[in-house]
Amino acid sequence: MKGVQYWGAPLLSVALLLAFLAIWHAATRPETGTRVVDAEYAKLVGAEAATGQKSAFPTPAEVGRKLWGHITDPFYDKGPNDKGIGIQLAFSIARVLIGYLLAALVAIPIGFLIGMSPLVYRAFDPFIQVLKPISPLAWMPLALFTLQDSGVSAIFVIFICSVWPMLINTAFGVASVRREWLNVAKTLEVGHLRRAFRVILPAAAPTIMTGMRISIGIAWLVIVAAEMLVGGTGIGYFVWNEWNNLSIANIISGILAIGLVGMVLDLSLARLTRLVTFPE
Amino acid sequence: MSDPLIRIEGIAKRFAARDGTSSTVFENVHFGIEQGEFVCLIGHSGCGKTTILNILAGLEPASDGYVFVGGREIRGPSLDRAVIFQSHALMPWMTAFGNIAFAVTSRWPEWDRARLRDHCQKYIDLVNLTGAEKKRPAELSGGMKQRVGIARALAIQPKMMLMDEPFSALDALTRGMLQEEVLRICAETRQTAFMITHDVDEAILLADKIILMTNGPEAKIAEIVVNTLPRSRSRHTLHKEPHYYPIRNHLVDFLVSRSKQFNESLPADYDPKNPPLVSPGLSGAVPAAAAVPPRPVEKAVVVNLRH
Amino acid sequence: MSAFNDPFNPDVKLGCGCGRHQDQAEHDAASAHTGDTEALASRAVDQAVMRALFPNDGTRRRFLKAVGANTALAAVAQFFPLAAAREAFAQGKGQIEKPNLKVGFIPITCATPIIMSQPMGYFGRAGLNVDVVKTAGWAVIRDKTLNKEYDAAHMLSPMPLAITLGVGSSPIPYTMPAVENINGQAITLAIKHKDRRDPRSWKGFKFAVPFDYSMHNYLLRYFVAQHGLDPDRDIQIRAVPPPEMVANLRADNLDGFLAPDPMNQRAVYDGVGYIHTLTKDIWEGHPCCAFAASKEFVTKLPNTYRALLKAIMEATAFASKAENRKQIAEAIAPANYLNQPVTVVEQVLTGTYADGLGNVRKVPNRIDFDPFPWHSFAIWILTQMKRWGQIKGDVDYARVAREVFLATDATRLMKEVGMKPPATTSKKFAVMGKEFDPAKPDAYLASFAIKRTA
Repeated sequence: MKGVQYWGAPLLSVALLLAFLAIWHAATRPETGTRVVDAEYAKLVGAEAATGQKSAFPTPAEVGRKLWGHITDPFYDKGPNDKGIGIQLAFSIARVLIGYLLAALVAIPIGFLIGMSPLVYRAFDPFIQVLKPISPLAWMPLALFTLQDSGVSAIFVIFICSVWPMLINTAFGVASVRREWLNVAKTLEVGHLRRAFRVILPAAAPTIMTGMRISIGIAWLVIVAAEMLVGGTGIGYFVWNEWNNLSIANIISGILAIGLVGMVLDLSLARLTRLVTFPE
Repeated sequence: MSDPLIRIEGIAKRFAARDGTSSTVFENVHFGIEQGEFVCLIGHSGCGKTTILNILAGLEPASDGYVFVGGREIRGPSLDRAVIFQSHALMPWMTAFGNIAFAVTSRWPEWDRARLRDHCQKYIDLVNLTGAEKKRPAELSGGMKQRVGIARALAIQPKMMLMDEPFSALDALTRGMLQEEVLRICAETRQTAFMITHDVDEAILLADKIILMTNGPEAKIAEIVVNTLPRSRSRHTLHKEPHYYPIRNHLVDFLVSRSKQFNESLPADYDPKNPPLVSPGLSGAVPAAAAVPPRPVEKAVVVNLRH
Repeated sequence: MSAFNDPFNPDVKLGCGCGRHQDQAEHDAASAHTGDTEALASRAVDQAVMRALFPNDGTRRRFLKAVGANTALAAVAQFFPLAAAREAFAQGKGQIEKPNLKVGFIPITCATPIIMSQPMGYFGRAGLNVDVVKTAGWAVIRDKTLNKEYDAAHMLSPMPLAITLGVGSSPIPYTMPAVENINGQAITLAIKHKDRRDPRSWKGFKFAVPFDYSMHNYLLRYFVAQHGLDPDRDIQIRAVPPPEMVANLRADNLDGFLAPDPMNQRAVYDGVGYIHTLTKDIWEGHPCCAFAASKEFVTKLPNTYRALLKAIMEATAFASKAENRKQIAEAIAPANYLNQPVTVVEQVLTGTYADGLGNVRKVPNRIDFDPFPWHSFAIWILTQMKRWGQIKGDVDYARVAREVFLATDATRLMKEVGMKPPATTSKKFAVMGKEFDPAKPDAYLASFAIKRTA
């Protein structure tokens, strides 16, 4: 009975995956076309086109082969437009982290101010409300025009998309620190800085971390789109480049890599959140 | 006559309503607390008990009146007045030791680690929490949490302790134990204390004076009961004291009926600056102004009954 | 004055700055007590420019003979503002100012001369270390070039005109010293339309072109308008980056496109479309993409510019020979460049291709490479920009053409790399049988029935 509980979920996961692969395999089995073309023509076109078909979605085996290729050689560098998936991921992660950390540096102090002062809150609120719902990618043309650099623009877009959840959560976390903890600090005549770092920050930390976790998720979603837009390097560029080549198998490899990295980023933020969360 | 340690002069709390009128929670509250005295405030909910405590603590401004500590008017909270909150108000991200140390470093920021540790440990031992220093509040029982709160308040060696129904959230058994402990600690440290409660037995057990407040709105101090029981009290023997039942009946009677009617049938000689001082079981109501000055009377009674 | 030899005299051998001495040191010693006047200095710089441009005396003489000494001075002055030249020479004496360059490209066969210069070593031989950077779309390539992230770029030939005029971006003086390719585009329709070949039956079709300011847009509009369809009312034309076109055709978002290759051939390769009309059958020899740089780059880094342009000219000359095309296809097909199957690129470049309907066609000049930026091309493009309302008001066609399409540079460098430039910079040509006279652009514009001019 204990064995079923322990192994049940993983076994079910594997079964689901196998079922998915089987359906995929069955659905993408090459059809035999009816149209006959001459041999010279057939040499000039893809295998499907030669039999009067459109090129098909790749089979799981094809994707597996491509994936294995990427896993075994992730860091090759064959020129500025052809780098391994590992290098592309590193570019994307670096951009995300830079933009994200800059956003944290800005959002957390401002969020603190907003959370502590109802006056500042009301002053900032209209701007936040207007700026928050703007799709980060809408900033891209503006950023390219003003910042004059596509790399900096991509980082700016990450910055602008990850700043809002952190800002709002910090302000909310700070504003909802329990009155009694603040009263304790008051009766102990605790100074402003000490109160901010020893009472408010730890009290608001779980809420702030929740905002940071939302932010990293959004940042990772956005970097892929931003890189598809400006190109150059990064996993988004990789997907775009393979789209250009209509290589669905490579695109699927890219998608899997994006998902895995996104999961790792989310899990590490979740772990950090657990570190600062206190039971009451 | 020398000033008491704490002197409250005519404080009031009013709230402005939307229509421009203002509603008064309480007004014209005058009383004093002597050095080493334990004063309890009893009244029904809504009479502004907690507000009075917050004003004493400096956490809330009074709409009117003044509070003097040692002859000086208070301006905001101070390390001189430690507060024990109803809901313990421990920082859950710090250990029991951390919570106390946080308060101690606020008081003596220049202390080194060893001195800090020794000092905190002394108060942890005082509230019988030895061994639980490293635990976080979430790992402590309700009673233990409140002990940490008491240790935190005592550790900064305040001029007085302000307690806002500190035991109301605890079960009866724990409450009893903590009451005795507070009694012991106050006796040992000669700590001046002001406590809000609505538990009549708690007041009789702990207090030297019990301030009775009428119901709100426009609550006021009806009278101040002098606890004539000997200071060396115990929960188990309390009811055997001759004055126990007269005092208890007086208090219960007040809470049940007189607290409501007091405002309507104000005694002709009622003076809010000198609320009547009574000693049930001794001689009945003694108008404070008419009788011997309050302090000697109280002292005489206490001395009388202690020895 | 006669102390200084005329640097524009093809028969003078330039030993030193003035030509009177055996070498520069002797010249310096002599000029120390001659006393420089402004005129002397100016001629000395002229000489320096000529020497820097043509270190080889034989080349210089051939150039002067071919172009004519009279026009050479004007040509050099246009190409080499002397102030900039003085500065450049003060620093590097004809050295390449910036050997590490970034050149942007869109992964299409039009960019062949730019792309192939890297793997086939043309840049390296010119003393340059060039990164050719694949870019996602025309708007991005424009912005990155304006931002100076790219030193020069592969553009559509109407783009430098549009940028210079400030249409669709802030006006920045731009130059187009070389066309990259001629012909090489096609109208591709979705395979489901294989029986609707008559353009008059295309009402309601959704077409894609790579960019608003592209030959593709103007040619498609011209083509459907000649068949009686109004391109703004009877069909939809959208700007879609070339790499996304086949995917959109496959997904049924488009009925067809007029696109650069390899997109047309790729649509055939994947069995989703067929090639309806090659653009060479609309206008034989039309320009398409171009090599473009800002005027600032040309004037501030003249030696670098010259080396870069020369490398691309050489590559273009190599690409213009049919026998080299297979080799080029193999060089530019990998992931670092076009990222396409070799056979697709090969079919585009060799002109032996599958048309998507089961036929193998042989059209050797399906795409060709001729760098000469005819001023008449620019004028035709400007008439079409005006025809479709992209520019309003009067345009000084000839002046804009002259300033942006640097025909003089091209002439000189084409000769240097052994190509035969034409003797004039303007010519008449026919588009779908209708003659265009670059001398009468307004009359040409007025002759169209379907247009957006007021």
